[in-house]
Amino acid sequence: MAHLTKVKSKLSIHAHRKVRGVLEGEYAAAQIGRGIDFNDLREYVRGDDVKDIDWKASARGRQLLVKRYVAERQHTVMLCVSTGRSMAASNDAMVSKRELATFVAGMMGYLAVRHGDRVGMVYGDAEHQHIRPTDATELHLEHLLAAAHDATTPDAPASDLAAVLRYAIRTVKRRTIMVIVADEVQVTEEMAELLRRLLAQHELLFFTIGDVDPTDAALTGRLYDIDAGVEVPEWLRHDRRLRAQYASLVQHEESGMRRRLDQLGVVHERVRDTESAISAVFRLLERHRHARRR
Amino acid sequence: MNEWTKGDVSYLWPWLMVGLALLVVALLVVWLRVWWRRTPQDATYVAHTARLRALPRFRSLVRRQTAVGAALTLAALVACTGAILLAGRLQETQTKEQSEANRDIMLCLDASYSMAEVNAEVVAQFQEIVTELEGERIGLTIWNGNAITVFPLTDDYDFVTDQLRIAETAFASALSVGDAYLDYIEGTQVQEDVASQLGDGLVSCVQRFDREDEERARAVVLASDNDVIGEGIFTVPEAAEYAVENRAVVHGIAAPSTAERAGDEAEFRDAVEETGGTFNLVGGADSTEAVVESINDLEAKKIEKPPLVQTLERPQTGIVVTALGVGLLVIVWAAQGVLALVDRQGGREQRGGRR
Repeated sequence: MAHLTKVKSKLSIHAHRKVRGVLEGEYAAAQIGRGIDFNDLREYVRGDDVKDIDWKASARGRQLLVKRYVAERQHTVMLCVSTGRSMAASNDAMVSKRELATFVAGMMGYLAVRHGDRVGMVYGDAEHQHIRPTDATELHLEHLLAAAHDATTPDAPASDLAAVLRYAIRTVKRRTIMVIVADEVQVTEEMAELLRRLLAQHELLFFTIGDVDPTDAALTGRLYDIDAGVEVPEWLRHDRRLRAQYASLVQHEESGMRRRLDQLGVVHERVRDTESAISAVFRLLERHRHARRR
Repeated sequence: MNEWTKGDVSYLWPWLMVGLALLVVALLVVWLRVWWRRTPQDATYVAHTARLRALPRFRSLVRRQTAVGAALTLAALVACTGAILLAGRLQETQTKEQSEANRDIMLCLDASYSMAEVNAEVVAQFQEIVTELEGERIGLTIWNGNAITVFPLTDDYDFVTDQLRIAETAFASALSVGDAYLDYIEGTQVQEDVASQLGDGLVSCVQRFDREDEERARAVVLASDNDVIGEGIFTVPEAAEYAVENRAVVHGIAAPSTAERAGDEAEFRDAVEETGGTFNLVGGADSTEAVVESINDLEAKKIEKPPLVQTLERPQTGIVVTALGVGLLVIVWAAQGVLALVDRQGGREQRGGRR
């Protein structure tokens, strides 16, 4: 349970129960299609939709209680992880993108499992794509995370999120909450089309992971281009003009991608490291809830 | 004076050069293999570098780095080549024939009036000999009652030729009007009644030889008519003995008038032959030529010495090549530094502009 343990310990160390509760509440509130059949009551946590508060019961019980519906339990979270070799590189905070992707997917999966939802996974690269069945246990989630983690190696084929999404469109038949974890730098027309198709069927949550800046003067040690397999020369880190050009390019691409995804109506969040991943997940869920209400 | 003859130019340590060249090649191979080797296990990877490569600044930097790298590599290789050349120690072997002439020839002329003509002829002959000499030393002593050194043993042939010409002129002018001859032989006759002392003259001439400790062929060319007047210090046989003791060979040239006095001629001949020299009467067909031949025969006594060999380092090429390489290295480094400085300035201005 290595991957999931990491998620749990990070959640507990970082945020105590309170924030975990908030996250769970956010997750619950972000659900769509809540069933009409009332199931039970549970304690209110920050983030729960105010609409769900059972005011009468709360008055009786002297604490805020929210209604839970049967349908809530039967959601499916489909983790959609790009596992090409570019995901085995480092990200802009010098964290392994693979670890970060596993962490984010694990957190979303953990929230879902805690909520009683089923979690499945689609992952792959340019050559191979796989789907794992859905289940609602932590052990199953751990297997999913391990599969994605182990598939992401420097020797893996190139990343191709479009191929993974096409595969998901073909294989995932039911309506799910689809959590995409990838390292795209721009949204191509093809990608936009795929996202539109997925949006028609699923709730889309898009996490992107950045790349390390090879012109960063603070870098130490040798850096290798994971696609070409050659060393990225050390002298790139000493040129201010190159750094400025690269930074503006990355910024431009990022804002362009953000704008495009907003146009498409896909909520997305950039994850930098495990510390900020929790708040990123929180923000994403929050935004998703509001986006849905619009 | 013999010149050094240039000989073989070769490397003292060619194996070291080969070894160093192999080392350089091996290092290059190792370096290239490290360069081309697949990335290490714990490498830091970066993805999506294509967008970086597309940047105009990246391209110009790559061009610059390529140029600088090529120049540095070239300079390093040139410096290595120079160092290898230096390590091989290029040497030139020069040899010098040690035919340092070790003959001393003392012209020993009887300055009495009757000998003037003979002397002129001998001196004239010797002017020709001098032109063919190499390293031998020649001296001129004239004597009558007393001996005078006209010039001591020397190998300054220009001087010798000048002096012989003066002597020839002086002796030739003996029969003509003027004081040239008398001036020349001034001091050879102090006492009127002591003249043509062959014994004293020969001993004086033998005494003119220096460098007694060296193995040298010593020859005295003694021209006289052995017409002794008065009492000298040495008799002719005593003088001959003295010459033998000093390992000097005496070649006698007798004036024609000597033949008229059989005893004197015999005494002269015996003395000369005792020293191993030749005896000739002037007027005989080739008397002076015979003397010249005898002198040349002395060459047989020349001491065989091995040629001198000197080995000179010739590091110039190596030094020039090494300096070229190192100079290029320094220039490229300096150029790189200047470029970096310019970039830094440019970057500062850009940032300032943005502010």
